[in-house]
Amino acid sequence: MSRYEEDLWIITRDNLVALMEVFIKTREVIAPVRGHGEEVIFYPIESIEDVAWDWQYVNAVLPPKRFFLPQTEVMFEYRYDNGYKITPRYDDRVRMIFGIRPCDVNALVFLDRFFGGGSLSKKSPDEEPLFPDSHYIKRRANTFIIAFGCHQPGENCFCVCCDGGPFLEEDYDLQLTSMNGDYAVEVGSARGLKIIYGNEHFFHMASSDEVKELERIKEDALNKFGDTCAYVSKAIRRVTEAKVDDSLWEKLAERCLDCGGCSYVCPTCCCYNIVDIPLSEKSGIRTRTWDSCAFAGFTRIAGGEILRSDKKDRLKRRFFHKLSYQYIEKNKRHGCVGCGRCITTCLGDINMPSVVEAIRKQKVTVQAAATLRHEEEI
Amino acid sequence: MKDVYFPDIAVIDNIRNETGDVKTFTMRFKDPDIQENLTYRSGQFFEVSIFGIGEMPISITTSPSHKGFFELSVKNVGLVSGVLHGLPSGSEVGIRGPFGNGFPYEEVFGKDLLFVGGGIGLAPLRSLINNVLDNRDNFGRVIILYGSRTPGDLVFRDEFKAWEDQPDVSTLVTVDRGDEKWVGNVGVVTTLFPKAGIESKNAVAFVCGPPVMIPFVIKDLLKLGFKEDTIISTLERHMKCGAGKCGHCCIGHKYVCVDGPVFSYREMKAMME
Repeated sequence: MSRYEEDLWIITRDNLVALMEVFIKTREVIAPVRGHGEEVIFYPIESIEDVAWDWQYVNAVLPPKRFFLPQTEVMFEYRYDNGYKITPRYDDRVRMIFGIRPCDVNALVFLDRFFGGGSLSKKSPDEEPLFPDSHYIKRRANTFIIAFGCHQPGENCFCVCCDGGPFLEEDYDLQLTSMNGDYAVEVGSARGLKIIYGNEHFFHMASSDEVKELERIKEDALNKFGDTCAYVSKAIRRVTEAKVDDSLWEKLAERCLDCGGCSYVCPTCCCYNIVDIPLSEKSGIRTRTWDSCAFAGFTRIAGGEILRSDKKDRLKRRFFHKLSYQYIEKNKRHGCVGCGRCITTCLGDINMPSVVEAIRKQKVTVQAAATLRHEEEI
Repeated sequence: MKDVYFPDIAVIDNIRNETGDVKTFTMRFKDPDIQENLTYRSGQFFEVSIFGIGEMPISITTSPSHKGFFELSVKNVGLVSGVLHGLPSGSEVGIRGPFGNGFPYEEVFGKDLLFVGGGIGLAPLRSLINNVLDNRDNFGRVIILYGSRTPGDLVFRDEFKAWEDQPDVSTLVTVDRGDEKWVGNVGVVTTLFPKAGIESKNAVAFVCGPPVMIPFVIKDLLKLGFKEDTIISTLERHMKCGAGKCGHCCIGHKYVCVDGPVFSYREMKAMME
């Protein structure tokens, strides 16, 4: 357990509501709100009334990555007036994200490393991170995280298999866990502790029984996953060593609709395109927008040639990126946090557990073994 | 923190027609400090912006030994390159970079160098060739083999003689199809190999050209005794960010924009689509 501070605090629900009302007045608060029907989405709230509480949802249908990497974001404005003048646009709003689940926090940690430049190959370990992404970093640094631990996994959750949850051990500011009608509050950062000390009248120190109770809840939550099992480690080895026969990707490709939904709902997918939008003859904006390696046009080069034109190669690419040891080494974890959104979204049933399962059941064929031998010879 | 997406403004000072669809643009950064402090390696590239149209990655064709300006040779094949081709001298563009790893340079001191170029692929090689020739004593024998489809597709024609005039440099040029005025070699670039007297023993080969050319050249280089890591080439991708983020140039676990675009044949072989 690497909490920032070992003390456990308790806040009653009424006090939490009162505290949130203070926050809503002083910063943008993003929280799960009810959309249509049962669905819950992350959205900036104006009143605590709008919030969906932790027992009312397992997770939002879309990950909160759009608050850090918006679907379309303006990078800078350009204007021509006897020469070009460029004005960068940064989003430095002070924000708080309330009710984010551990899997999505772990996905943000993944993105922090990636956009921070820590994933890129360095010539020496002392070298500064390469090309940190100031747009992402500013948003992330200005966003306070109040996470909700998960008591009850949803039907598609498999975070236990991916070190994505159901509780956080680090990388949050505050982690709340529902307990006997109140909330246990774990402190994960200096700024988390500052919130407690700045609003001490809302919190009280947990008793030793309550500390034990939280441990029990956490253990209980783990047990609720039952026999949920995504055999990720086997898939990692097979993908890393190129031991997956192409016939598997061919079969999956028959079911892939090229829709890119998997990438859009994935909390760690972050490929983007860069697009200029003229606003007048002499001015305009440069934007970046979400993109997906599932799209055929993703690898189009000047002249029109598409380098990864075969759908099976694109699927292979996607799962290589998520699972191979080569990427794990760069990102310090594999690219799945077990949120299960790809299961909900993909119409062709191509998702992390199903692909991992298919890889598990595939025998290493002569062709795949030959590829491997060939690579060893190199 | 420097914003990697923020372009600096450069001015086009001169435009030279190389062929019917290739132009060489001489540029300098508008801010003299940026121009003054520009350092790069041959084989690195810039992201060139035409505001309102978009960005494209273009290799720097000037030798790092030439100061005060830089040149980009651009073939008119796409949206941004098409608009750039229509711009007059004095126009402003955005420039980000330099990006990418660049060719080995100090690492090949004392070696014989073989350059094999095809078409516009001579542009990145030209940067290295001129840097090598500006520091001639650091290298052994230099052989430059260059081919294009027709005589009209040859780029940097004015420089071939200057290269040839340097001590211990041979420059051989060929075209796939000659015309009535062409008296030089006819045939693909590998047909020059027997004529060039290549010794692979202490040599490194740099190969840039259209994707169709590369495998044939590599096959013949291996036959001549070049090792997989003494054959150096570049990979073409649409690198949109240059910073290893946007994902468009990934091959296997390599980002062509950061880990490349220069790779040895040994590295390229181990990469999978």
